[in-house]
Amino acid sequence: MPAVKKKSRPTPPAARSAQSRGAPSLPARKSSPEALRDLLDAGRDLIESEAMYLDERRWDDWLALYTEKCEYWVPTWRMDGTLTTSHDEELSHIYYSNRAGLAERVSRLTSRWSPASSPVPRTCHIVANIRFIGAPSQDRMQLRSSWVTHALYIRQRQTYAFFGSAEYELASVSGKWLIARKKVVLKNDYIPSMIDVNCL
Amino acid sequence: MNITQALPRGIGVDPQAMMRYIDDRPNDGIFQVHRDVFIDRDLFERELAYVFGRTWNFLGFESQIPKPHDFFTGHIARTPVLVTRGGDKQIRAFFNVCRHKGAMLCNVEQGMARVHVCPYHAWSYDSTGANVSIKDHAAGDYPKGFESEDHNLKPLGAVASYKGLVFGSISPDVPLLEDFLGDTKFFVDLVMDQGPHGMEPIPGRALYTFRGNWKLQLENGMDTYHLTTTHLSFLNIQSDRRRGGGNQEVRKSNVAGNMGIKTSTFTFPHGHGVLTLENEDPTIRPIYSQLDQLRARVGKTKADWTTARSFNATIFPNMNLSQNYALILRVARPISVDLTEMTSYCLGAIGESRAQRALRLREFEDFFNASGLATPDDSLMYERCQDGLTNAGGPPWLQGYARGMNELKPGGNDWTNEISARPLQNWMGTFKAGPEVMLHEPYREWQRLMDTGLRGERAYP
Repeated sequence: MPAVKKKSRPTPPAARSAQSRGAPSLPARKSSPEALRDLLDAGRDLIESEAMYLDERRWDDWLALYTEKCEYWVPTWRMDGTLTTSHDEELSHIYYSNRAGLAERVSRLTSRWSPASSPVPRTCHIVANIRFIGAPSQDRMQLRSSWVTHALYIRQRQTYAFFGSAEYELASVSGKWLIARKKVVLKNDYIPSMIDVNCL
Repeated sequence: MNITQALPRGIGVDPQAMMRYIDDRPNDGIFQVHRDVFIDRDLFERELAYVFGRTWNFLGFESQIPKPHDFFTGHIARTPVLVTRGGDKQIRAFFNVCRHKGAMLCNVEQGMARVHVCPYHAWSYDSTGANVSIKDHAAGDYPKGFESEDHNLKPLGAVASYKGLVFGSISPDVPLLEDFLGDTKFFVDLVMDQGPHGMEPIPGRALYTFRGNWKLQLENGMDTYHLTTTHLSFLNIQSDRRRGGGNQEVRKSNVAGNMGIKTSTFTFPHGHGVLTLENEDPTIRPIYSQLDQLRARVGKTKADWTTARSFNATIFPNMNLSQNYALILRVARPISVDLTEMTSYCLGAIGESRAQRALRLREFEDFFNASGLATPDDSLMYERCQDGLTNAGGPPWLQGYARGMNELKPGGNDWTNEISARPLQNWMGTFKAGPEVMLHEPYREWQRLMDTGLRGERAYP
């Protein structure tokens, strides 16, 4: 087995200049490997909780992971194969600048008046490759993940796998980490019939 | 070779029996469609040849190919198509197929290329479709017969544009595009003249499939009757927004509370149908802030129809152009009898402000596409229809075409007079009436094209 090279853990690059939303963050009080690991664990815990809540249809718990003013964005791909970069100038699959948009999704999923959501697909979210983007602070961090969601569209009796990557900006609010921004890159955008937040 | 000869053998659809698919007896108050129209595989193959192969089909936008050598690809039903702008600036459309081994030549959706090289054996074609290279030609020991053949890309039978929309036909035997569109041109104008510098599909691809026949989308594109059931969850969300809840950054329209609004349908030659209704609140249209400029540019009538009316227009066979929650152009592409691919474009004015565009996008994303709050409920209902129709032994005739028949009138009405349009038939009433009569003409045209195809006659004599 190759030896684990402890020194190889990269120092996170400087935080990106385009810090979106919220007040400028304080730098981490200490950027020791232990402190970074604690932050990463906290971030990973939040991301995995989101996956679990969606799979278990704990919709209120899921919504409570987001800040009220959160940004939730699923950009489309352009016809030339590049990802759109401006949600105000280019089409998105989903774009919200508040949690209320997500809550509307939940109301439809649970309403029983939506033929597409009756029944709600059974899902299994797998998230992995969770890493920092830029340098985290004690109250703000950016993370990326790779994700796969397996979904059984019950009425169709068909199983689909949606997959891609995601970027998160997490904010510590009253000692609790919440999602202030999530950008979901849906890589298989040839969509069978429908897709909703529970399949991303 | 004509299309009849190209059809697979052994498909037995009796021309004399075609009447049994559309039961069209207006004097008896009967219009019914047979379920086989949605599920019969043999009929579907005929449909590709006689309907999609012998009429105009929407291909894309001129704005996708503004410069010489720009191109985009697409399909007419299952036929791959390459549309180019040549060095001479002329727009051409070809079968997107290499002449050598039949490989799809270009598999990029949009781009710029002076030369399209087939990656199999490097046969190459310029942007006018001319073959410019057969690799190692001289070493190929080709016989005279081969040398005398045409090796260029095969052009479609016809290609033409109207107001920036590019249409193509596999068969050359089609009317002029403007004659084909007829008075539906007014509705194309309403959309495509909105921007002072023209309109464009907003970048970003929205592509999805549904497991049902393409005609289920054609029908739904003009169906108001389903709104208060299929989209009840969406209407409830809108109600909540009107009470100050939910996502306040998108509209809070009150369709369910305005079931009395004036509504009218028109049908036109060549199978086109239009549903029009009063727009409850003209101010919600992104263009409203520029109404004065719009009136000055396109005239008061068109400008007011842009803001004070909503419409869903079906350009036969499979294009839908709508001005309601947003400006949307949709194409339902048949892949098999029970699988349809939807491409939808959110249209915006070229050069419009970021705020105006953002408003369009939020409204569009709110309702449409596989990720919207309403369209998926339609798509899943098409799939339930397909499942229900496929069951052998069920009732053969569908009863979804009779609403409004008592008030169906020949010719035009006050609204069509405003726009100098001369429909074949019109219906006028309230939104709540949920008319279905504008579906008659698309089905009559479908049957006419099927009949002429089966009889080996010209589609447009």
